[in-house]
Amino acid sequence: MFSLRFPIALKNNLITYPPKRTTKPAPSSHYLHSINSQSHLFPSQSMIVTKCDTMAVVANNIPKVALGDEVEGGTSLDEDLTMPAELKMELMPKHVAVIMDGNRRWAEMRGLPLSEGHVAGMKSLKRMVKLCLSWEIKVLTIFMFSTDNWARSKVEVEFLFSLVERIVNSEIEAIMRERIKISMIGDSSKLPESLQRMITNVEESTKNHSKLQIIAAINYGGKHDVVQACKSVTKKVQDGLLHLEDINENIVEKELQTNCTEFPYPDLLIRTSGELRVSNFLLWQLAYTEFFFNQQLWPDFGKSEFVEALSSFQKRQRRYGGRHSSPSIQ
Amino acid sequence: MDFRDGAHNLYHIIVAIGYLGLQLLWYFMQIIVSVWYHISIVGKLRYLAVVIESEEAHQTSKVIKLLQWLDSVGVKNVCLYDMNGVLKKSKDTIFQIMKNAKSIEEVNEDVTHHAPDHMTLEFVSYVDGKEAVAKAANLIFVENFKRHDIGGELDHQILLESHLNQALQIVGCKGPEPDLLLVYGPVRSHLGFPPWRIRYTEIVHMGSLNFMRYGSLIKAIYNFTKVRHNYGT
Repeated sequence: MFSLRFPIALKNNLITYPPKRTTKPAPSSHYLHSINSQSHLFPSQSMIVTKCDTMAVVANNIPKVALGDEVEGGTSLDEDLTMPAELKMELMPKHVAVIMDGNRRWAEMRGLPLSEGHVAGMKSLKRMVKLCLSWEIKVLTIFMFSTDNWARSKVEVEFLFSLVERIVNSEIEAIMRERIKISMIGDSSKLPESLQRMITNVEESTKNHSKLQIIAAINYGGKHDVVQACKSVTKKVQDGLLHLEDINENIVEKELQTNCTEFPYPDLLIRTSGELRVSNFLLWQLAYTEFFFNQQLWPDFGKSEFVEALSSFQKRQRRYGGRHSSPSIQ
Repeated sequence: MDFRDGAHNLYHIIVAIGYLGLQLLWYFMQIIVSVWYHISIVGKLRYLAVVIESEEAHQTSKVIKLLQWLDSVGVKNVCLYDMNGVLKKSKDTIFQIMKNAKSIEEVNEDVTHHAPDHMTLEFVSYVDGKEAVAKAANLIFVENFKRHDIGGELDHQILLESHLNQALQIVGCKGPEPDLLLVYGPVRSHLGFPPWRIRYTEIVHMGSLNFMRYGSLIKAIYNFTKVRHNYGT
């Protein structure tokens, strides 16, 4: 008897899917949202959000939740920091990179203003930072704003920058207490001056911290990183620090913006929301990085999803040992 | 007795006819589905990259089978990559069997716009990635030096993305950015594929080449045709 095996695979085993949810998302209604239908994930806010003033109102009411605080209405974050038995501390990646995708879709699915998606995304980021601190991951690189994102509306772009500024300012105490080092990669010259000043100050204040380094990629593009590295090399040749014939990939690598860390190459890249691209992020640095693409939208990416990513990484580490050794290249 | 024998034979004939009919129906459905996927794919997947882990890349017969599958569904422009250059060594063998395939060096026009009567194959390894970028940058510097007196100011602004793109073409990296990159091997990594070319490339891990399946290949390509690219907006 012939096989009833279909020519086309019915199930995609290549990306992970979120568990089925028991609650339905709110009907899509971008522009009006009353307090009564707010998700329990958000602290109560006495406001009606309309289309015209969505971003400004939410920006003025960003909840001040520090790294050490519990999220109102949620479970205690201290309990969630326990490392599950399936993970091994000695096999933790040194450097994790994250493309935090899906904030806007998350908000649209719930009928919330897009800005609340970004706020929820920041909470998810805080969760991840806490886990990285607990599980001794050394570097966390987060793709906050791409050079391509300038094509978004001016309102959204300004909101994003103000959100970053407010969150960092509200977390500075925890950042200092936890000895987190903050670095920024990307072209800061086009950012608002207040954000530039904040970045400069926080980089200076945390330059000697060593427990966890958070690299925020803001106005960053992978190609631009390579171009500026080549320009730096040019300058060194002009200044007599290098000979032209000495230019090779190692020389270029040292000039990339990720040379701000001891571990410039991510061991693991996580991208949420089901997209399977790197979108001009760390192009040069991702040569041997393990990719983990997850269907979950970023605000919903929590401890269990992070454990899944790390578990997937560690299984491959156990089987094949550490990073690829220098190959016989042709 | 005769009646029982006759009935028995008739039963077997009916079963055989039914079996043959179901087989024909099954093959007919496969053809319909393949044609449908072919129509969906053609025009949407302009350039495909296949990354193969170097140890598995030694299996030339499997690589050829993969290329034949791709050819059958209308994917005509393929870049084959492995880190150590194993596929480059198998180039002659592959072209001997894939008689309708041409090397990208032989194709003069824009590779994504050539007539679909032949496949275009590009063979790439690690040296065509980061090393090529360094060579391209070196080339730009040398050209820049020629335009200025020795000891004069170098124009740093001359180095833009577009200049690097042009220089990469000159040093031999002609291939465009792939729309889709399939990774065959145990590791979910692109293993050093030229970084300059994967900004918005969809990356799909297919598992080991030893267990490659036609259905999985078609599904990965078909899923790509359904993706909506925002490009940051």
